[in-house]
Amino acid sequence: MANKVKNNKEMKEKNNSSHNIILSIKNASYRYSDAEENDYALRDISFDFESGKMYAIRGRSGTGKTTLLSLISGLERCTEGEIIFDGKSLNSMNLDKYRNSDIGIVFQSYNLLPFMTASENIILSMDANGLKIKNKKEKAIELMEKVGLKETYADRKVLRLSGGEQQRVAIARSLSYNPKMIIADEPTGNLDKQTETEILEIFKKLAHEENKCVIIVTHSQNVCDTVDVIYDLKKTKEEKK
Amino acid sequence: MFILKNAWISIKRNKGRNILIGIIILIIACACTITLAIKNTAVDLIDSYKNAYDKEVTISFNRANMMKDFDPSQAEGRENARERFDNIESFTISDVESFSDSEYIESYYYTYSVGLNGNNIEKAEIESNNTMPNGFGRGKQNNLSSTDFTLTGYSSLDAMSEFINGTYTMNEITDNAWDIAFDGNYVFINQELADYNNLKLNDKIKLEDDDGKTYEFEIIGIFKENEEGSSDVMSMFSNSANTLVTNASVVANITASNEEINATINPTFIIDSYDNVEKLQAEFYEKGLDENFVLQTNEEIALSGVSSIQNINSFATTFLVITLIIGGIVLFVINMINIRERKYEIGVLRTIGISKFKLTMQFVSELVIVSVVALILGACIGAVSSKGVSNSLLESEINSSNERTEEIGKNFGGANMNGGMLDHGNRGDVRGKGMPVVEAYDSIDAVVDIKVLLELLGIGLTLVLISSIASMVSIQRFSPLTILKERS
Repeated sequence: MANKVKNNKEMKEKNNSSHNIILSIKNASYRYSDAEENDYALRDISFDFESGKMYAIRGRSGTGKTTLLSLISGLERCTEGEIIFDGKSLNSMNLDKYRNSDIGIVFQSYNLLPFMTASENIILSMDANGLKIKNKKEKAIELMEKVGLKETYADRKVLRLSGGEQQRVAIARSLSYNPKMIIADEPTGNLDKQTETEILEIFKKLAHEENKCVIIVTHSQNVCDTVDVIYDLKKTKEEKK
Repeated sequence: MFILKNAWISIKRNKGRNILIGIIILIIACACTITLAIKNTAVDLIDSYKNAYDKEVTISFNRANMMKDFDPSQAEGRENARERFDNIESFTISDVESFSDSEYIESYYYTYSVGLNGNNIEKAEIESNNTMPNGFGRGKQNNLSSTDFTLTGYSSLDAMSEFINGTYTMNEITDNAWDIAFDGNYVFINQELADYNNLKLNDKIKLEDDDGKTYEFEIIGIFKENEEGSSDVMSMFSNSANTLVTNASVVANITASNEEINATINPTFIIDSYDNVEKLQAEFYEKGLDENFVLQTNEEIALSGVSSIQNINSFATTFLVITLIIGGIVLFVINMINIRERKYEIGVLRTIGISKFKLTMQFVSELVIVSVVALILGACIGAVSSKGVSNSLLESEINSSNERTEEIGKNFGGANMNGGMLDHGNRGDVRGKGMPVVEAYDSIDAVVDIKVLLELLGIGLTLVLISSIASMVSIQRFSPLTILKERS
């Protein structure tokens, strides 16, 4: 397995203080139920992810990026191997609970409910988590402000927001129950350069200032330049071959 | 709470679709309420009729058994059949009393007939037309046709079926007739016999048996036989012209004083349920009833009066089933379309960690909320609409019953029947003895009652669950990632 770690001064200091593995992929393989015996979408992958770091998973189409994302976000289970989150195997965890309390997921196409306002989308996620706070809307606005959205956006239907604004709402939604890890699938794929930079800055802050583990599946060089660690899925597969 | 909150938000968001679902359920609820109300009322009426009619069992010849091996083309065969008929062991009053001692029998009554000749009166006759009632004689089978008159004794008012069914109608009657009719040598005679012998109420008549022993009777009533009851169209007189009606104990006294006299007995047993007839028949055979006799019930007659209501009941059931099938299919299809439209929403909700169970419950809750509102409205509209239909049905049945009661009263001479009549050998009330008494429903509460509402609720929830199967199955099968990838 080859991976590329980008060190910078700032992160070096931080990493030295917290070598805290939050997610560990151990010899994970995945094969679709209708695939042939040796036709794996993902085979024998082993990665570690630490809190306070920002990761990129890079790879060409068909290398299994989305499959890996669905495994670490608990949308699918490994057919072989296992994924350990915070000391517990996902194979034995309730994945619904895992998704609505331990991790936040951000998609390229935002995946917000279009018939709801920005704040309602965030509150929905709080409700799904069973979060018990008095004023959920206030908390939603606070989160929106954290990702650079003004309070006035709270009551707007998400379809009336720009792509960048919708992605900020999606990030705010993923933060609504304060998860330990953020998983993002091409979060800047639909955004312009300027907005991409702004969104990446938010992720960077979440990792470096709030000690969250941020994993981004991407094609973007700009993203790769921003993250602390890059896992190249293609090389991994080739090496295994 | 989260499920209900989301369900409510979704209902508000999809007003058009939910109004459509609501209208469909409203129509189903409305139709169900009306049909259930009619069906329940019809069932009540049928039960009322069934209960109003005594469940009667009579003994009759088993003709099929007697005619087996009978070859009419051979004289020997005819002779054998006649011999078999003559050798049938009949039964006596003590046999009837023995038969009646059964757990299946609630009560019994009988008619007891004997043939006598006139002493101071003449038989109404231009040509020989004296027909004896069907019955089973003392000892071997025999007939009473050789005598002038038939004295028929009824054990109780219940036994007087000819008066109850209208074959005989009382023309004249003494004031105290029903108080004394079952206490002594009193008779009711046919109008034709009265005219023929110039007899009137309170006249005394004398009859005698073959040994010349005379019996005196006082006339306390004069009846006529309705034309439709008379079977001999070639005769000048009706069948009952020479029949004198009295009580069974009078006939019993006559037969006790003359053991050679021919008499017939026709018992009727009131049973608890038609289902026990076969067991009762087996019990009768064990007690000595000849196997050439069989038991017959009045079930067909009892139910013939409610055939139209049974038809309404069948129609209501069929209509209900068709409504539910069509309604169920339509709701299922709407739900299928609904799920397809909301696939993306399901994908998003699953991705943010809402469990399949919670999601399924949300979709079912949406349908339940809409259904409950529609069911309440449907039940109200149905209740109002069913009132006219059901009450019309009830009114016609009540009128029919009242007319029947009045008619029977007239047959007994229009006297006050309450409290002065015999009840299975004791004094009782003519009402309810062998005739239908229908409970009068005059309130809408009796139509759409709690039973109908519970049935409606059951039907509604069943429909909701069936039509929710689409969403339940789809949510279990959908992969959130696949949905979101399709969307992307």
